[in-house]
Order: sequence, then structure tokens, then C-alpha cells
Amino acid sequence: MSDKKPIIEFRGVTFWYGGANDKPAIKNINLKIHEGEYVALLGLNGAGKTTLQLCINGVIPNSIMGEFEGEVIVYGNDTYDTPVREMAKFVGMVFDNPEFQLSQMSVAEEIALGMESLGFSYDEMTKTITEVLEIVGLRGLEDRSPFGLSGGQQQRLSIASALAMRPKILVMDEPTSNVDPIGKEEIFAVAEQLNREKNMTVIMAEHEVEVMAAYADIVVVMHEGEILLNGTPEEVFSNVDLIHKLGLRMPQVTEYAHRLNQLNLASIEKPYPVTLDSAVERFKDIL
Amino acid sequence: MQGIVIPITMVPGNSTIHRMNPLPKLLWTLGILALSFSTRNIAVLGVACLIGLLLVFYSGITKAYVRVAMILFPISLTLITLQSIAPAFPRPWTAIVGFGPFTIYQEGIYSGISLLLRIMAMTTWAMVTIMTSHPSDIFTSLKKIGMPYVLNFIFVMTLQLIPILQSEFGIVLNAQKSRAMKGSGFGAILPSMVPVFVGAIERVQQLSISLESRAFGSSGKKTSFRQVRMAFSDYVALFLGFLVPGAATYWVIVDKSLDWSHSMVFSPAFSITLVLGATIGFLVFVFFAIRAALSA
Repeated sequence: MSDKKPIIEFRGVTFWYGGANDKPAIKNINLKIHEGEYVALLGLNGAGKTTLQLCINGVIPNSIMGEFEGEVIVYGNDTYDTPVREMAKFVGMVFDNPEFQLSQMSVAEEIALGMESLGFSYDEMTKTITEVLEIVGLRGLEDRSPFGLSGGQQQRLSIASALAMRPKILVMDEPTSNVDPIGKEEIFAVAEQLNREKNMTVIMAEHEVEVMAAYADIVVVMHEGEILLNGTPEEVFSNVDLIHKLGLRMPQVTEYAHRLNQLNLASIEKPYPVTLDSAVERFKDIL
Repeated sequence: MQGIVIPITMVPGNSTIHRMNPLPKLLWTLGILALSFSTRNIAVLGVACLIGLLLVFYSGITKAYVRVAMILFPISLTLITLQSIAPAFPRPWTAIVGFGPFTIYQEGIYSGISLLLRIMAMTTWAMVTIMTSHPSDIFTSLKKIGMPYVLNFIFVMTLQLIPILQSEFGIVLNAQKSRAMKGSGFGAILPSMVPVFVGAIERVQQLSISLESRAFGSSGKKTSFRQVRMAFSDYVALFLGFLVPGAATYWVIVDKSLDWSHSMVFSPAFSITLVLGATIGFLVFVFFAIRAALSA
């Protein structure tokens, strides 16, 4: 992990949606994320991924009622004291159901909504709309109704709407859960492009472990509100027994390496490979 | 998605009225609204209605207008039936003809016709404005003259939610059918309400978090992406929108000779034909509406 100063830091964060007597949604979270990192949040439904993400732009605790403990510092701003609208300049959010995030009558107006709130000039808005539509591959659809787009297009529009506010961090909560396989690929490609080409910090909660293993710099595994594993994909997915116990899937090549070891067919040292390319590289000498 | 139908929405076109700024159109509509509520004179209301209809033809929205009028007009016809036997006028009433326990009154026929014309005049003008203006342009214009940003958003969102809820309603009905539950008629509608409204609440909660994350509702200067400009002709139309309906409203209020409610005489044959026609017209509409609802 980098020695640089983190841009996002969770310090002992606990959050209860109800009162403090209920079970917390996240518990004593300590996490540091650095600029330009692609962070994958893995965990079953109810593990606390969404709650953790909502803390990054301050929707928790500013807009969602509950009990909050600890500190979340994003680019030096304590989210507890910073209005969400201020945080919107740093953090773009994309949620799981694209249709539920849309409200305007045209694609261009949907993207402009956030910029209007921040007082962008008309020229800035038109320029930005063109730019972000280019990035997400929706150029030419400016005048279409957002509700007439496909699921994948709608989700890319949600990404464009978040990008229009020029955030440094893109937080995506299961962005592919409601879209078809082609739409999924489009969304992963956009996220990867933003991370690699624009050095944008991406924090994505996902169930697609193969894709996360390939793209993410850091994988964070959550269970019942706690972070159980945090490291590179190779480090995290080498904890095979724990990941199995949590009911999570592993990348198939990692599973394969583990089985070969279990059946004494090969002796593959940890960390296991997590992508096809790294597996080919590792296995070519032993098979 | 299925069932996306907004019955009253913009009809694309390039007429002069389409090209006008929405503000003068809104002002004219409000002026006609004020005029219609200020008079019962059927000639004045008839002329307002007629001009509205001419604008409908001129702007090329006749088809869409007729579709809406086909629903609105038969419902409004009940006014003639009800008013004819129980006029919204101070007594004494002049009886024209009686049948059974009912009596048709002179003032009732007058009141029914004037109320019908009032509704048709107002809705026709409103329809011209709505069907020739892009909703976003209307909201942007209203924002420019000080309509709160949030209120504008509520209007836009409502317009969006109607077809979405229609579509979700269809999905729930199909789900009910697939589980061998009743899939049509009134009996099927009630159980569909709960999932549709719970879904709507969930949608709105998610949307509010999404909007908040996009700085919606932030204080400070706001700008508008949609650019709506006022041409010289729009200023002229705006000025006339103040002047003409304003002057007409003043005239109908001060000129007491325009009250024709007692002076107009309707023959028994005309009155019976009108009341029966209105009643039959309404019943036929109800019959078809129920049949359509049952077969949906």
C-alpha cells in the first residue's frame, strides 16, 4: 500500500440506522484509500457496503437518520461537518438501480441538473455535457428521454451525471446489478477507463469477483458490518477458507490453484493468481 | 418499459404558437381563466372558447386536443343535466317544463351552458399552452420569473412519475395474472396498489439520496441549462396578454347588462333536447369507460 497521505480515511466509524441499541450497519471501520486507487468492496447483501459508501459523501450521517460514531475524512473535509452539496464536488455517487436515479426530461438536462445546482455557466454546462457523454459513450442521445434508454445506457447516464460535477472520487454501489451482460461490460469499461486514464479514485461495490480481481488495486471484504480482509486482490483471494466461509465466490483461476494444492496435484505458493493472465504465467512451469 | 402514455403533453410542431415563449402563452391562459370566472355571459365565454379552438387548429394540435376533449367534454355535459334541475342561481327560478319529480328551469339551462363553455374555454386555452410548449421550457420560464427551484422540480418529477407508475402498474397486474389472480377489472386494481405505491416510495427515497449526492437543493447561485429567450414578438404577446384579457375581464365585471341569465328564454323543446342529449352523451361515455376498464 502507498505511503502517500490517504484521500479518504475512515477512523473508527460505526453507524446504526435505528438507535444505538440495534445492530450497527457498519462497525468500527478503519480504512484508508489513496488517490487513483480502484477499490473493490465485496460482501454479501447486508454486509455494510452501501452504508460504508454513503459515508464517503456524507449522506450518512447528514441526510440519513441514525447514530454515527467516528470520523470520515475526505480530502481533508470531515464529512460530519461538511454539507453533502460541498462533498458533491469531490465525490460522485452511482447507485444500483439506474432508473431510480433519473428525473429529468432529456439526457442533457439530467446531466445538467447537478451543474445547475452548483451554478455552472451555460457554456461550461454544454461543454461538460459533451465531454462526459463522450466518456460514457452516449454522444448523440442528448435529447432522448432518460427513461427510454436501456438499463446499461441509463447507468452510464448516471455515471455521466456524477462525472459532470468533476468529482475526484467515483463511488459506485453495485452499478451492474440491474443491467444486462452487455451493459455490465460497458459500465466496467467506463470505470476502468476513468481510473486508468483520468486517475480517478473508484470505489465499487460489486459481486463480479472476476472483474474486480482484474481491475481493482485493493479489495475490501466486508461481513456483518466489519472489514475482514483488506489488501491487493492476490492477498485477499489467497484467504480461500475465510472467503468460502463467508459465502463469497472466488475468481475461478484462484479456486483452481487452491484445488490443485488441496489434491496435491501441484504446489502453488500463495498469493494465488487471480486473473487468467497471471494464472497462465504461474502455471506454465508446473503443468 | 410499457404503457408510457402522457395524454396531455407537447405535440411537436413549428407553428408560430409553438415558437412563442411559454410566458405569454401562460399569461393569456391565466387571463382567459380570470375572464371565464368573471362572467356567465355565454356569448363572451363562447367567443373565448371559439378563439381557443381556432388556436388549436392553427397550431396543428387538433388530433391530440380531440383525444383529451373526448374525455373532458362528456364529463362536463353532466353540468347541463344537473344545473337544469338545480341551478346555481338565487331563486326565484323560472320553470320551463316538468317531468316527474324534476323541473327544468330557465336559469338552470343558462347556468349549465355557461359552466360548460367556461370549462371548455379554460381547458382549450390551457391545452394550447401545454401542447405547444416543451415542459422544460415552461418550467425554465417559470423559474426565471421567480418560481422556486424545488417547486419546478416537483412538477418535472410528477410528469415523469405518471408514466413510470403506469408502467409499474402494468407489471404488477401481469405478475398477478401469472399467479392465477384476477388480472383485470376493479378487483385486480386494489391489490396492485400496495406494491406500486411501496415501489414508488422506495424510488423516491433512492432518488432523494441520488439528488442530494448531486448537490440538489444547495444554497447559492443556481443556473439553468435550458435557455428560453424572449423575442420582441413575445414581449408584444405578453403586453397584449395583460391588456386584452384584463380589459375584457374589467368590462364583464362592470357591464351589468351582460347578465343574460333571466333575459334569455329557452323553449321547452330546446331545453328537453339539450338535457336529454347531455344525459345520454354522459351515460354513453360512462358505458364505454366501464367497458374499457373491465377489459383492461
